[in-house]
Amino acid sequence: MYINYLTHWIKHSFMVSHILLIVSLGLFSFQTADPLNEYKLKAVFIYNFTHFVEWPQHTLQQNNSPFVIGILGKDPFGNYLIETIQNEKLRDHPLIMRQFKDVDEIDSCHILFIDEPEENKMDEILSKLKGKSVLTVGDRAGFAENGGMIQLLTVDNKIRIQVNLNACKSAGLNVSSKLLRIVTIVDSQNE
Amino acid sequence: MQKPSLNYDIEGSIPKRSGKSFYPTFLLTITILVLFPWPTYSQTEKSMPTTRELKTMSMEELMEIEVTSVSKRPEKLSEVASSIQVLTGEEILKYGATNIPEALYLAGNLQVAQKGSHSWGISARGFNTDLANKMLVLMDGRTLYTPLFSGVFWDRQDYLLEDINQIEIISGPGGTLWGANAVNGVINISTKKADETQGLFVEGAAGNKLRTLGGIRYGGKITPDIYYRVYAKYGSRDGAVFPDSTDAHDSWTMTQGGFRIDAKISSGSRFTFHGDAYKNRADLISGETSDVTGQNVMARWSYTFSDSSQMRLQTYYDHTDLGLPTAPFVVNDTELAPEGTFKDKLSTFDIELEHRFTIGHYNSVVWGLGYRFMHDDVTNSPALGFIPDMLNLDLFNVFIQDDISLAKHLFLTLGTKLEHNDYTGFEWEPNGRIRWKFREDQIVWAAVSRAVRTPSRVDRHISQASPPFFVLLTGNPNFKSETVTAIESGFRSLIGTSLTTTVSLFYNKYDRIRSTILDPVTIFPLIFENGLAGETYGFELSFTYQPTNWWQLFTSYNLLKEDIRVKNGQTDFNNTYNETADPGWQFLLRSSVELPWSVSIQAAFRWIDELPINNAGKLATVPSYAELDGNITWQMTDKIELSVAGRNLLHEYHVEYGVPGPELVGIERSVFGKITWQIWN
Repeated sequence: MYINYLTHWIKHSFMVSHILLIVSLGLFSFQTADPLNEYKLKAVFIYNFTHFVEWPQHTLQQNNSPFVIGILGKDPFGNYLIETIQNEKLRDHPLIMRQFKDVDEIDSCHILFIDEPEENKMDEILSKLKGKSVLTVGDRAGFAENGGMIQLLTVDNKIRIQVNLNACKSAGLNVSSKLLRIVTIVDSQNE
Repeated sequence: MQKPSLNYDIEGSIPKRSGKSFYPTFLLTITILVLFPWPTYSQTEKSMPTTRELKTMSMEELMEIEVTSVSKRPEKLSEVASSIQVLTGEEILKYGATNIPEALYLAGNLQVAQKGSHSWGISARGFNTDLANKMLVLMDGRTLYTPLFSGVFWDRQDYLLEDINQIEIISGPGGTLWGANAVNGVINISTKKADETQGLFVEGAAGNKLRTLGGIRYGGKITPDIYYRVYAKYGSRDGAVFPDSTDAHDSWTMTQGGFRIDAKISSGSRFTFHGDAYKNRADLISGETSDVTGQNVMARWSYTFSDSSQMRLQTYYDHTDLGLPTAPFVVNDTELAPEGTFKDKLSTFDIELEHRFTIGHYNSVVWGLGYRFMHDDVTNSPALGFIPDMLNLDLFNVFIQDDISLAKHLFLTLGTKLEHNDYTGFEWEPNGRIRWKFREDQIVWAAVSRAVRTPSRVDRHISQASPPFFVLLTGNPNFKSETVTAIESGFRSLIGTSLTTTVSLFYNKYDRIRSTILDPVTIFPLIFENGLAGETYGFELSFTYQPTNWWQLFTSYNLLKEDIRVKNGQTDFNNTYNETADPGWQFLLRSSVELPWSVSIQAAFRWIDELPINNAGKLATVPSYAELDGNITWQMTDKIELSVAGRNLLHEYHVEYGVPGPELVGIERSVFGKITWQIWN
């Protein structure tokens, strides 16, 4: 009888502690910041690509020449990309960010984030980048299937990666098997 | 010689009382420990990883981080107005599950009781008995429960676990969208698309209880738009033990193979075709062996007309063939019927259409139609029969549900299903749900719904034994649908990426629950009746917490109170005890730690309260128990993974279900090693 009473009390107190906990959670959750913006995470992915992709020697010949991460079109990153690559180096090449309004402006560029809604323009951009060893990254639907190299997709609120391996290879870019392990490989559709 | 005693021996040495007072205290301590980092956590506002923190994470870790999409996405988990938990395929593997029932132990909102080596009872919010019948279980849209008793034979529901995408577990009625039998919950298992399972993969495991497990899968590409996989899995498992620790002779093997093809027909059109075949051979305590074979094939076509309009059409065929040796039917030492073999051949054909569309900015509608045809053909054994032995069943349904945006963050969902079955005619299953998204990723919700469990063949047609032998128990040709009206509410909060809290409260009012009555004139046979009614209520709490990027915790805590009564003017031979056998409290704590050198350690601790269980009209109990499962994995290379797993580590054996007696079955400690090898991608 006494034991029963005791276990009841323990169970009861356990329940109370949980309820208190919920209440406290509810309170403090009101004070926290907004959830993670997808572009904050995507910026880190782009930064990580510098470690998982090998560019041909000739694209980074001089010592200390910058490694350029470009953005073509609208910049969806806000400050996130700058914040991510600030003071970072790839071997002795400092990472810098550049914005391009037009594909013809691009002289030196290693990674290019492209936000181009029109398929026709995409084809034009990609054909102009041919032979330039630029890793093209995008997040619009069909980016990799339309000839882009790396597509960042949001699936169930998580980032997934598609890689168009043939496009990378023909640009002379070597993608590490470590990266390939966690991506989906796609092919250009018009093949 | 003293025989080792099982925990159920209340007067025995392992004191149940100290167990009872120890575990809640232990749980309390764990809770406090889990609780403790929180104040620090809220003060330092680490809810969101900084860019610097993100940069230290591996790509795999980054891919696990959830983001809010800038563009609006429908139905994030945090926005669903019901009590839902999701087990990802990765979690299932991490914790060392080797089949689907073992995986379901990881869900906080289910009651799982292993009844023997190849028998499980799995339910949400109670009614988890021998013939647990209130859950709707689906795999890739195919219904897994049998119309024989409206429950699931869990030992023959298998898959290569590496290819399981996720398991959604909804506690609470899901009748409107999911259909009949979703009285207390829905378990929805989905497998990965073929393009996610490419390459050659093999796995092998061996241990003391899991004798051997082998799996192989090959996934390839036919054209850039058509992917496929084929797989096979074999598992051989040792039996459980009796109270005197002798072998219960219920070892079993399961062999299964299958395929899946996913094709992209055009930009908005997808086609999926998959099928499986299995053979299950299970030794029975009686010394006989039961054989089950089954095949199924499913085609699904989905079409996206636009962002706001999608349609899905699916059809499947499923066949199972059961051969079950039945022991002689003995009552009070008198053999009423000799042994024999009961056979059941069940064929199911099903076709369903579902269409989702939006009307303006405020209405998001889903509607659908379905038809199912079942042909059931049993061969009665002396001890067990169904009359009639052959039966065709038709099931029609139509449903519609509208999600209405009442205000910026306030949504009302109204819907109903209308179903027609051959037993009881039309059945309504309406629900109304309201959710208020008071902050991004934080919602409160409330719901009222009605669901039914339509009669099964057991309720209507069983004959135990079958004529001309003496019939002790018979089904009732007028057995009606059991009903539930459920009132639920809940709160779900996703804070940053590291803490998720869910709370669900429920109050279920049941009517016309199955009872067993004596014939007023002839006494026998006993007959089923809808003579019980009652209420259940309780709560489900769960927290997912990630203190650092290498440590994840999940804890859940459930209360269930059941009050089932005999209705006025009715009687029950079982004194209301036969339909429930559920723990009042249960607790689960899971911890997953990623260590350096590609090693990870997982542990899952559970405490399950005692079960009150029917023993021929008297109440017996299965004692409370605590158990621990663990798994250590070493990712040796990027393709080879080695692991050692243990299940039920705390006791040599323990009982999860059953009436005290010589045939009570204990589940033993199990340890096994496993290797997986992705030979090429």
